[in-house]
Amino acid sequence: MKGNGLTMNIDKRAVDSLIEESQDLQSDALRESYGSLEQLRDIGASRKGKTPDQDSIREYELGRRKLLKAGGFGLGVLASSGLISTAWGQRVAAEVQRPISKRVEVDVQIFQTAVSLELLAIATYAAALELDFISGNDVIRTFAETTAMQHTEHAAAFNAQAVELGGASQQMTNPKYTPIVEDAKPTLTDALAVVKLAQTLEEVAADTYLANLTMLTDPNFRTLMASVLGVETQHLATLRAVGALLEGGVPELIAIPTDLAALPAAAGSVAFPEPFEKPNLASPPEEGAVS
Amino acid sequence: MTTEQEEPIDVTTSIEEVTPGESHLARRGIFGVAAGGLAAAVFAMRGDGDNTETVAAGGRAAGAAPASRRSPAAAPAPRRRAAPTEGDLAIGAIAASLEVLAVNTYGAALDAAGSGALGEVPPAVAEYVTVAKAQHEAHRDAWNGVLTASGKEAVTWAPPDLEQTVNDQFAMVTDVAGAAQLALTLEGIAAATYLSVLSKLESTDAIALAGSIQPIDRQHMAILTFALGMYPVPDVFASVDDAYTGPGAPTAMPETR
Repeated sequence: MKGNGLTMNIDKRAVDSLIEESQDLQSDALRESYGSLEQLRDIGASRKGKTPDQDSIREYELGRRKLLKAGGFGLGVLASSGLISTAWGQRVAAEVQRPISKRVEVDVQIFQTAVSLELLAIATYAAALELDFISGNDVIRTFAETTAMQHTEHAAAFNAQAVELGGASQQMTNPKYTPIVEDAKPTLTDALAVVKLAQTLEEVAADTYLANLTMLTDPNFRTLMASVLGVETQHLATLRAVGALLEGGVPELIAIPTDLAALPAAAGSVAFPEPFEKPNLASPPEEGAVS
Repeated sequence: MTTEQEEPIDVTTSIEEVTPGESHLARRGIFGVAAGGLAAAVFAMRGDGDNTETVAAGGRAAGAAPASRRSPAAAPAPRRRAAPTEGDLAIGAIAASLEVLAVNTYGAALDAAGSGALGEVPPAVAEYVTVAKAQHEAHRDAWNGVLTASGKEAVTWAPPDLEQTVNDQFAMVTDVAGAAQLALTLEGIAAATYLSVLSKLESTDAIALAGSIQPIDRQHMAILTFALGMYPVPDVFASVDDAYTGPGAPTAMPETR
């Protein structure tokens, strides 16, 4: 193990078996998720050649202006942390304040932006897996590989929705956070730095999907969005716990089977610091939209 | 819908009626009537201004033409409303009752731990139970705040059928692992229920509240799963399979991994 001296124990065969079993169990849910595509194709076909619903776009713009004034889409967090005046903060602010496209339906933009976040997460975990202190550790490698696979499924599901609704498939990583991740790569010199970066990306995705719930008008879209939201927040919870154990100097406790008796008390609650998830870092629908 | 006196919420009428075709993902869409049918009935009776402005998702699925059959020209954006509908309140009451059950169960676990009935309790487990209980209290209070702000009574009871099943299970718990397993089951039910109702809720406030709680329950699940020695994020997509479907629903506890 390199980097920060991370050493972990894992029964890899047991973990792989658990993952395989759980994925079998949810195959029904996946099939049902994709089962809504027929209905989406109808909606997409009905939109063909039509101007996007301007009422919907106006309604979103109105809510968006209110949200921006209130420091939404991460601007409040940037301002309160003093980061708004930095180059990074300015880049984020510029992206957030970009006007929404009137040529693409809001729900399509929402799915395209979601895909862009998923693709960035996949690329980031892939980059992390090239680092010795990640690929050389069974626990972290298993988490990175499994999480990247899950994000791949999410991206495919969201892209399928966008395309079936008549939109373009998003194939690019998120334009706001991609340069930020690129800038961060040289600083990824130990596992904790990687965990922190991944934590940020998972939080952005989760906050975005949470904010999307009140903007998506079709109930099925909400269900899909929330089904991914729930998983991203579990990634976030796991990363928070792993990060805390690394920071606490007990990396050996990041292990399966778990040494429950040895875990510090904080490990029981660090993963969920607030009783309610808030869309503090939500990306607006147009951020990763393509036409 | 605010009244001078608090009104009790009767959710029993929503139990056996399921709005068909509401969600392709939901298997046990027991909340369908609560969110769709009941709301539609209430709106029909009220006939006030709000009614004409509200063409929210659940109501549309329950009573109007499906999206695929609407003509593009006549497909305006659904008018969203912030204030909860009657259907939302019925769902909120069931959500509050599930939160009461979670609070009671974690409270019982703390009592059992304090009495030594669970054997030695690791510090992380004690911390988890304390914080998770407090968060479920916050969730319960949030739903009750929604209910009382709309002139309804706060919910102080757990779903009797599910509570009985949980109590039966809890009586067999003799150690921390057993308590964690039961907690994981309850969190799974709560998270699946919130996911399920997100397709039924109509108002933005109710959607935002349910959406902000479901992730926390999923996070509780991740830590419990890890504590039990399993991979913490086994699912690619969260599922509605274990959603609680209201009083009168089958009370068998779902299988856990």
